Amino acid sequence: MSTVTETHRSAARPPEFEDTHESIRILGFWIFLTTDVVLFGSLFSVYAVFRNRVALGPTPHQLFAMGPVLAETLILLTSTFTCSLSLYAARSDKLKGAVAWLTATLLLGASFVFLEIREFVGDVRAGHTWHQSAFLSGFFTLVGTHGSHVTVGIAWAIMLVLQLMSRGLTVTNRRKLYTFTLYWHFLDIVWIFLFTVVYLLGIA
Amino acid sequence: MDIQRHLPPPEPTGHGDEVEVRILTPHIAQPHFPAMQVTGYGLSLAITLIAFAMVAYHWMGLNTLVTVLIVMAFIQGALQLGIFMHLREAKGTLWHLPVLALALFIGLGIVGFSMWIMLFKSGVS
Amino acid sequence: MTMNPWITHLMKRLFPPQVLLPDIIGIDIGLTVAAIAAIVFLTKTKRWGWLWREWITTVDHKKIGIMYLLAALVMLFRGGVDALMIRTQLIAPHQHFMSAQQYDEVFTTHGTVMIFFMAMPMVFALFNVAVPLMIGARDVAFPRLNAISFWLFAFGAILLNISFSIGGSPDAGWMSYPPYSELMFNPGVGENYFLLSLQVAGIGTIATGINFLVTVLRLRAPGMTLTRIPIFAWSALITSSLILFAFPPLTVALGLTMLDRIFGASFFTLGHQGMPMMYANLFWIFGHPEVYILIMPAFGVFSEVVPTFSKKPLFGYEAMVVSLLAISILSYGTWVHHFFEMGAGPGVNSFFGLSTMLIAIPTGVKMFNWIFTMWGGRIRVSVPMLWQLGFIPTFVVGGATGVMLAAVPADYQYHNSYFLIAHFHNVILGGTVFGVLSGMYYWWPKMFGWKLNERQGVWAFVFFVVGFWLTFMPQYFLGFQGMTRRMSTYPPGLGWTALNFWSTIGAYVMGVGFLIMVYNIIWSRIHPDWDTTGDPWDGRTMEWSLPSPAPEYNFARIPHVHSRDEWWEMKQEGRTDEVKISEETVHAIHMPRNTPMPVLLALAFFVGSIGMVFEWFWLAILGGLGVVAALTYGSFADYSEKEISRDTILHTEAQLGRVES
Repeated sequence: MSTVTETHRSAARPPEFEDTHESIRILGFWIFLTTDVVLFGSLFSVYAVFRNRVALGPTPHQLFAMGPVLAETLILLTSTFTCSLSLYAARSDKLKGAVAWLTATLLLGASFVFLEIREFVGDVRAGHTWHQSAFLSGFFTLVGTHGSHVTVGIAWAIMLVLQLMSRGLTVTNRRKLYTFTLYWHFLDIVWIFLFTVVYLLGIA
Repeated sequence: MDIQRHLPPPEPTGHGDEVEVRILTPHIAQPHFPAMQVTGYGLSLAITLIAFAMVAYHWMGLNTLVTVLIVMAFIQGALQLGIFMHLREAKGTLWHLPVLALALFIGLGIVGFSMWIMLFKSGVS
Repeated sequence: MTMNPWITHLMKRLFPPQVLLPDIIGIDIGLTVAAIAAIVFLTKTKRWGWLWREWITTVDHKKIGIMYLLAALVMLFRGGVDALMIRTQLIAPHQHFMSAQQYDEVFTTHGTVMIFFMAMPMVFALFNVAVPLMIGARDVAFPRLNAISFWLFAFGAILLNISFSIGGSPDAGWMSYPPYSELMFNPGVGENYFLLSLQVAGIGTIATGINFLVTVLRLRAPGMTLTRIPIFAWSALITSSLILFAFPPLTVALGLTMLDRIFGASFFTLGHQGMPMMYANLFWIFGHPEVYILIMPAFGVFSEVVPTFSKKPLFGYEAMVVSLLAISILSYGTWVHHFFEMGAGPGVNSFFGLSTMLIAIPTGVKMFNWIFTMWGGRIRVSVPMLWQLGFIPTFVVGGATGVMLAAVPADYQYHNSYFLIAHFHNVILGGTVFGVLSGMYYWWPKMFGWKLNERQGVWAFVFFVVGFWLTFMPQYFLGFQGMTRRMSTYPPGLGWTALNFWSTIGAYVMGVGFLIMVYNIIWSRIHPDWDTTGDPWDGRTMEWSLPSPAPEYNFARIPHVHSRDEWWEMKQEGRTDEVKISEETVHAIHMPRNTPMPVLLALAFFVGSIGMVFEWFWLAILGGLGVVAALTYGSFADYSEKEISRDTILHTEAQLGRVES
């Protein structure tokens, strides 16, 4: 297999892995993401247990409007694609490309959050606050936790764009971009499960 | 694997830079065209739209649908992990893989066991 | 005379009747006087700058470890005083030393402080002090994150500890089960304190888990392969992996309760189809691995102490590692044994009863391994070894009663009785606390450069262990006789009186043991028995190859490890001069600079948490902005490392006699 020759040809490694300190930070970030896996697992378990505890509030079927949710999903899938292109550009040493794709990512992320907030505001305006039932509490918290993660990601991306523009493709910035893409793709995976478990199974 | 047998064991460099578990050997590649990314994006879109259509047009009975949808979500998640998240990139051993596997095991365990424990009958609160 | 109604309202909120008891006001005055005395002392001796530079902004794992240790000892005192108050109340029937409300607050604080703010930091103290030195590293993987973890723990501890004098203590037990912890039954701010303080400390704990996992995986010295890692470092690795996946469910459980209480959600409420038992489910998904988070490091300490004081390599190293791994995996699958009585059905209860019993097997393996390590060894009974010898019988009794509790039908009888109380004190006090105290005596010279007096240490041990058995053995029988936990008082004539009396006497004997330990520390500080060799116990692992205390950079030259007990082998083969450096082999060392960011970040968390506790959302937002500001600063700051020059290293090492001439 070619893997062995790859690892011994250390010059082929991108700078974020060439540098021991930065590669350790990448491992640390991976470990952080694994804790987030369990965090979302716990929230999913709450949602799954509370799904039919609707009290006097709406059922999932009555609550969800699939149009905006499908739009949110497509936006997030596209953002995860642009995010991977940003890293690809950085690895090809194209600073402008990296910044441009990263900016596209954060704008797509912002529109995702906007749509989600609009959905939530609509629900609350219709009287469906999370006080109404355990199901609504679980729904808002699970989806809201994902949304707040995306919001944090946007803030991070803005800082990253600033740092890329002021400091260029330094090893540290490459590592930060790499960990950002890990974070963003991870949130996309969480959304895939949210989309399936909460929305698709909610109206099925 | 033949090549590996003939290579001398790598000199330990410290800071965990050497591969300590052979199946956790990293692999890094950067092709000239981001073909993997484009493929991954296309597959993701396709799976999402098919799943959506299955629900919107009631292609199958509810129980089958639930199973199929969840399986599709796992496939799509695996695609994201494999294509976009550079699972096999690291310096030294791929230590994040066993930790991630443990996290998935425990995360799924929490969901599955919680449902088993807490949904035994709807009357308990 | 009329007071501004706004101020009246504020004063009532800050000082409700439950904090205006005479004894609490007395403690408030005492603490204020102590704080003023400390400030005056620091100002008079001009030590503020020293405190800031050397301790508050430090990122050195050795100093952070010492701060964890001191904080943990203070918390041990506080939790211990709570315990004595509980036992004083129960010494005889119909005692009203405290009101029922105050009793509830005291046992809640006792449990919370002992688990989260005494045992956890004690464990982290030992990790910080020993792990990097054992594996041949200059620091942990993320030194700044390490400082952030410590300060989050410290401010979390402060948050919980001020509750009794400002706003009122939590009173729903250390598990804080809803619905009692919900707003409907518990309208004060006490529960908010509980939720926020554990949340803040919990973030720090997860960060510590990430830190030590990566440290042990990536920072080992060359040659230290997976099968050469000292068992204590293995236990740090596995404990960290337990922390990673145990704490997120706690975060969720606490977070959702907070949403219920402060923002009107309906998770664990009685109305709106909320489900209080779901909290119990989430809490114990955390809670069961948590007890293994506490005990694994103790196992690790004993696996270092026993070989050292038996002058034999550890028996069954591989079995030790495998059993640690097995325990860690199994511990995730046992949590329902904390609420069998919910009645989830025979299938669920059988599964979790069985998985609980299974854990006894790898634990038994470890017991036999320690005993076989001692078998035929040249045993020296020093204080660390004494604690190990005390641990074996207590932990075996605790483990055996644990298996009794795991038998589901029997558990319907034992559940929440004093039998349970005795069981978990047997394993947590007799396991974790004995373990960390053993580790404290063992690594004390490495931390401070002087040994603790042996004779006094023996006396502290004797009082503590005798007190321990006297306290908890009667409690098993109290459980059999039907005494349930958390009773604030009891009537005479139930056959409980004599047992409770002796249990209380035992608690006071343990308290005397603690006081002797404090005396031991202070006396030894005044009459230091300097450890000039760096190897006071004739140790086996790499930390004993360093001077005591180790210099800032730990290893002037990173060692090359050839075997499991590397330092022991070096001594046997007469290669100890290998640790010395010479003009040719020394290089400049880069170390991270001190930074105030961690303490400021934690302070912002503290301020925001106060805002959440009292539902002053402007203050919560202010704290949140502070967190964002600190993180932004941390992202943009220039973290160029400081260089320790060759000359400095040569000079330092020469003074320690570690330069080859």
